[in-house]
Amino acid sequence: METLKYIIKRIIQTIPLLIMVSVISFFVIRISPVDPLAELKLNPSVSPETVEKERQRLGLDKPIIVQYGKWAISFVQGDLGVTSTGEKVSQKLKERIPNTLLLTTLVILLTWLVGVPLGIIAAVNWKSSFDRFLTVLTSIGMAIPSFFFAVLLLLFAVKTGWFPIGGLTSPNFAEMTFWGKVFDVAYHLVLPVIVLFTISLAGLQRQMRANMLDVLDSDYVKFARAKGLSEFTVVYKHALRNAVNPMITLLGFEFAGLLSGAALTEYVFQYPGLGRLILEAVLKSDINLVMASLMMGAFMLVLGNLIADILLIITDPRIRVKS
Amino acid sequence: MIRRGFRVLFVVIFVALVLKGCLVKDVPQIQSSTQIYQERQAKIYPIPENITLNGIDYLQSQAPVGIFGGELITSTIGEGPKTFNPFNSKDNTSSTMAGIMYDGLLTTDPISGKPIPKLAKSYEISPNGVDYIIKLRKGIKWSDGKLITADDVVFTWQDIIFAGFGDTSIRDSLAIDGQLPSVEKLDNYTVKFTTPKPYAPFIRMLSTPIAPKHVFYPAIKKGSSYFDSFLSTNTNPEDFVVSGAFKLKEYVPAQRVVFEKNPNYYEINKNGDKLPYLDRLIYLIVGDLNNEVLKFEAKEIDIISLQGSKVARYKSLEPHSDFDLYNLGPTTGTMYLSLNLNDRKNDKGSYYVNPVKQKWFQDLNFRKAVDLAVDRKNMVFNIANGIAAPLFTPESLNSIYLNKELKPYDKNIEKAREYLTQSGFYNDKSGKLFDKKGNRVEFDLYTNAGNTEREAIGVMVKQDLEELGMKVNFKPIEFNSLVNKLVSTFDWDMVIMGLTGSPLEPNGGKNVWLSDGRLHMFNMRTPQEGKINILPWEKELDEMFTKGALATKFEDRKKYYDRYQEIIYNQKPMIYIYSPVIIMAIRDKFKNIYPSSLSGLTYNIEEIYIRE
Amino acid sequence: MIKEVMQQLWKDKFARVALIILGVIYLALFLADFIAPYTKDFSDRTMAYVPPSKIFTIDTNGKLSQPYTYNYIREFDPINLEIRYKLDRSKKHYIKFFAKGQPYKFLGLIPMKYHLFTTDKDGRIFLLGTDINGRDVFSRLLFGGRISMTIGFLALLVLFPIGLLYGGISGYFGGKVDSIMMRFAEAIMSIPSFYLLIILASILPSGMTSTQRFMLIVIILALIGWAGFARVVRGMVLSIKNQEYVQAAQSIGASKLRIITKHILPQTTSFVIVAMTLSVPSYILSESGLSFLGLGIQQPDASWGNMLKEAQEFTNILYRPWLLTPGFLIFVSVLAFNVIGDTIRDILDPKSKIR
Repeated sequence: METLKYIIKRIIQTIPLLIMVSVISFFVIRISPVDPLAELKLNPSVSPETVEKERQRLGLDKPIIVQYGKWAISFVQGDLGVTSTGEKVSQKLKERIPNTLLLTTLVILLTWLVGVPLGIIAAVNWKSSFDRFLTVLTSIGMAIPSFFFAVLLLLFAVKTGWFPIGGLTSPNFAEMTFWGKVFDVAYHLVLPVIVLFTISLAGLQRQMRANMLDVLDSDYVKFARAKGLSEFTVVYKHALRNAVNPMITLLGFEFAGLLSGAALTEYVFQYPGLGRLILEAVLKSDINLVMASLMMGAFMLVLGNLIADILLIITDPRIRVKS
Repeated sequence: MIRRGFRVLFVVIFVALVLKGCLVKDVPQIQSSTQIYQERQAKIYPIPENITLNGIDYLQSQAPVGIFGGELITSTIGEGPKTFNPFNSKDNTSSTMAGIMYDGLLTTDPISGKPIPKLAKSYEISPNGVDYIIKLRKGIKWSDGKLITADDVVFTWQDIIFAGFGDTSIRDSLAIDGQLPSVEKLDNYTVKFTTPKPYAPFIRMLSTPIAPKHVFYPAIKKGSSYFDSFLSTNTNPEDFVVSGAFKLKEYVPAQRVVFEKNPNYYEINKNGDKLPYLDRLIYLIVGDLNNEVLKFEAKEIDIISLQGSKVARYKSLEPHSDFDLYNLGPTTGTMYLSLNLNDRKNDKGSYYVNPVKQKWFQDLNFRKAVDLAVDRKNMVFNIANGIAAPLFTPESLNSIYLNKELKPYDKNIEKAREYLTQSGFYNDKSGKLFDKKGNRVEFDLYTNAGNTEREAIGVMVKQDLEELGMKVNFKPIEFNSLVNKLVSTFDWDMVIMGLTGSPLEPNGGKNVWLSDGRLHMFNMRTPQEGKINILPWEKELDEMFTKGALATKFEDRKKYYDRYQEIIYNQKPMIYIYSPVIIMAIRDKFKNIYPSSLSGLTYNIEEIYIRE
Repeated sequence: MIKEVMQQLWKDKFARVALIILGVIYLALFLADFIAPYTKDFSDRTMAYVPPSKIFTIDTNGKLSQPYTYNYIREFDPINLEIRYKLDRSKKHYIKFFAKGQPYKFLGLIPMKYHLFTTDKDGRIFLLGTDINGRDVFSRLLFGGRISMTIGFLALLVLFPIGLLYGGISGYFGGKVDSIMMRFAEAIMSIPSFYLLIILASILPSGMTSTQRFMLIVIILALIGWAGFARVVRGMVLSIKNQEYVQAAQSIGASKLRIITKHILPQTTSFVIVAMTLSVPSYILSESGLSFLGLGIQQPDASWGNMLKEAQEFTNILYRPWLLTPGFLIFVSVLAFNVIGDTIRDILDPKSKIR
């Protein structure tokens, strides 16, 4: 019961946050001189009447406050509006979200599978040259501009013919068997996953290493050591569990971070994900689309944090007492 | 001790390597002999002819008979189609996609550019130039088996286009003095269009797709906002009823559009078999040119348009490769430098353009000097890798209305200086340019950021003009913001932009050239301003465009459009730079390819087949 | 303390190499005007995309010679539709060291003419080839580096005082003030930073000089980074403010601002140092990402990011690999910063949670 109350309280707390996010984003986008109808206006075969019709449809002839009000009301009612080219925003998001979820989940899974053990190894061998080597190795991935790395990988794919050039599925995808489809998607995912993985690995590895160091230094580990337990038991049974716990809080941020970090990678690989969609929308100031996506990003972050909180309550009863 | 020895050894080796690296011997190279290519002889495209078999008026391909089956994978750059409704498409990709599925009454002869029958069997224009009698093919069918009749044509024009459904641009461009043409069904297979006055551009409008009445009628009944989302990208492919060679099979957002062959298509080959040869036509949606070329390189796509430095690569690969290159000549796109001639105030009472600068830009000598300073030759070399042609006129180089009297010229800095001196401009000791009132000549040059080609042109124009002593602040800005400046706020001095035009119909450019046109960027007037402060030559331009549209004979029209090009050539409100040459590569397994500078490579997609 | 940190840094092998690399880079950037044979905007338009100059030290007769180079001649081959570059062997251009070349103002102040190396008046020496406008890539790398390598530091200079003060005030006052201030910071953090960056960059007014644009990009980068930083500072302040000496200061009636700036914030120094070194690379990368989209530093100015834009093109990577050098430099310097940051963190605060 206590837990449920806490969760509800947390949810209520996020509402002002979301409102603030929406206000900041909306006004910041609208101050920019970017004209959402620019492409239309520059097309000689589109008549002024058509442009005017579009302007009214998008409500661009009204003051910003009114525009925001209109947007907020329909958003609360669950209507995300239409894009500047007249497609339904909800439809666009629906097309892209599964692809993005697929990519980000894979990347997060992989970074955890690799980053956590590497962090542990580094912490256990703290200050050894192996530790240093690992830190430097992981920073290499962080040091290449992601779009540049992606371009180089594409070139590699062209030269060797081992990987497809971007996209998510092959043209004959519809005719494939189930396993054929799974393989096809996996085949297309390899390169973008590599890029995002190398970028986010370093952060996770460092985090894990720091947590582990923290725990290894704590009293109960010292006590366990003093009891004469083998180093293996101390590290992998006692310390590890406590070190991984705080990592859970990271999940939420990691998700939101990937949404933003994936934009350029998706762009270069022509991956049909949310990142590329938002990027294109922002560049065109397609307000409904940008707002919906940013709100989605904020939701995801809030949700991620909430889940992390709940997980923590379940795994670590001390938190409950504190809150 | 040993360690130190190693270090010394290491240093010695390092120094030795560096020294070795510094010693580079100068050995004259032997020039490799250049390969000589036989230019491929252009084959003349045999235009399909009408043929009646079993009472059905087919179109018969005159090209060699091919083999059925296979697919062609091509690409479209950008975000993919926004709609498949031919009457809603406001962007190129959507129109192309809709155009594949819905044929128009007429099409364009890829060689001569003349209108020729497509869905129509024949057409006739009355001597007074206002009546168009269109005969339809008897017995041809929509993809669902229903007959294509005059009702569909009348419905399309009367109830969709003239009624203002979807994008109203076609309707708006057809209104002559506020009056629309009329359309009338004479019998089941004959339709008559009547324009209020003779209006030459109308014939080109007849290539507008025709919609199946039995599918579109229920949609327009539900009103205009329903029609806006009718046949959108999330429509079930089964719901499409088409007349074109291909029909939508699958649309995967941001990835591809797959078309399959329409079994009821009305064109047959010489053996009487129904075309198209290909089973499928696939468009991959690619984000940019780079990705496209990588996909071609990896053999994921079969056809590509190449520019600049890529051409040389494929030209050298061609002899040992699985593709052929075709030179289609200059594009319809034009790249230009424009000056802002606006001399008016905005509603807050301040000038759009600083009055001091206005004096310069409105001075013909100043514009001539700018024009003569621009180094088109080196721009073609550096930026387009030599794969482009310098441009001096607003009509593109492949336009059938191109005024060939207007001669090209080279950069001439002395002459440019002369023009400036004539108008009282002078250089001080350090070479800075001042006008006769002693104002330093300094202005902003804009283009859209992120476009390497235009940015590079901007850098060169800046240098060229600085040679004359002008101070140019080159500012690439975001595309949408730039357009806002050009067509809404008018607060710019000089800009590098590009426009695409039609090589067949100069009237399409009237938005740019009419003094109250929506894209009359160099001297843009707000709708409220109408035609105020009109310059004498702007007035003449208006006249040429009005007369050009109303004349019906090509020769008469040519005179008016020649004059319009001459005016621009002399007055230089827009200074044209170059137009890239299109080189296309297509896998050599595809046959029946007849390159056309007007229509490209795949205009006869239904006749293209794959050799065994 | 700083001396101690530097000593320990120097002891670490990786960190030492990184320090040397960064030292060399920054020295070269400082002396850019002198080292670069050409100015930033110098262009020879007949020499667009020429490959790196070939430098010879042994002449055709096999004799050792003062280093010399040949110019390139550009030819268009209308059959192969190709532009070719040939060495113009009719004239040798000797390379001169510490000789007079193009005039420049050292650091924008002192007019000078001497360059580290140059060649005669009609000779051209392009160590790393040229770009699309016939500008020397080597020279532009040096000038562009000035922008790319300082933009991060400047952004930090703007961001840190804001973040420190914001976090400090929020943490010290606590209660309502704290929760309002923190909600606002969280709202900023909840907007995916890259998109916020793009949106802000597209707001930049168009009528700016390049210096103004540079400064505004710095401010934008700072606007995005401060919130996360402020949050961590606040957390630290929360725990520091209950320490005895702070309470002592309160009891003698020191002003609140004074307590925050004089007594609390100095306690966060080691965290600040670590956070600074670790966040410089992310600003360098952000700049390159922005420029990749055409929203960062604009032509004709150079930055590593916008130079790298030209290297996106497939044929450029294949045939003009010298255009990739900015990418390489970004990589090396970011890596060096990371290594140093990691080492400093291990020295000062090994359990730090800063990523």
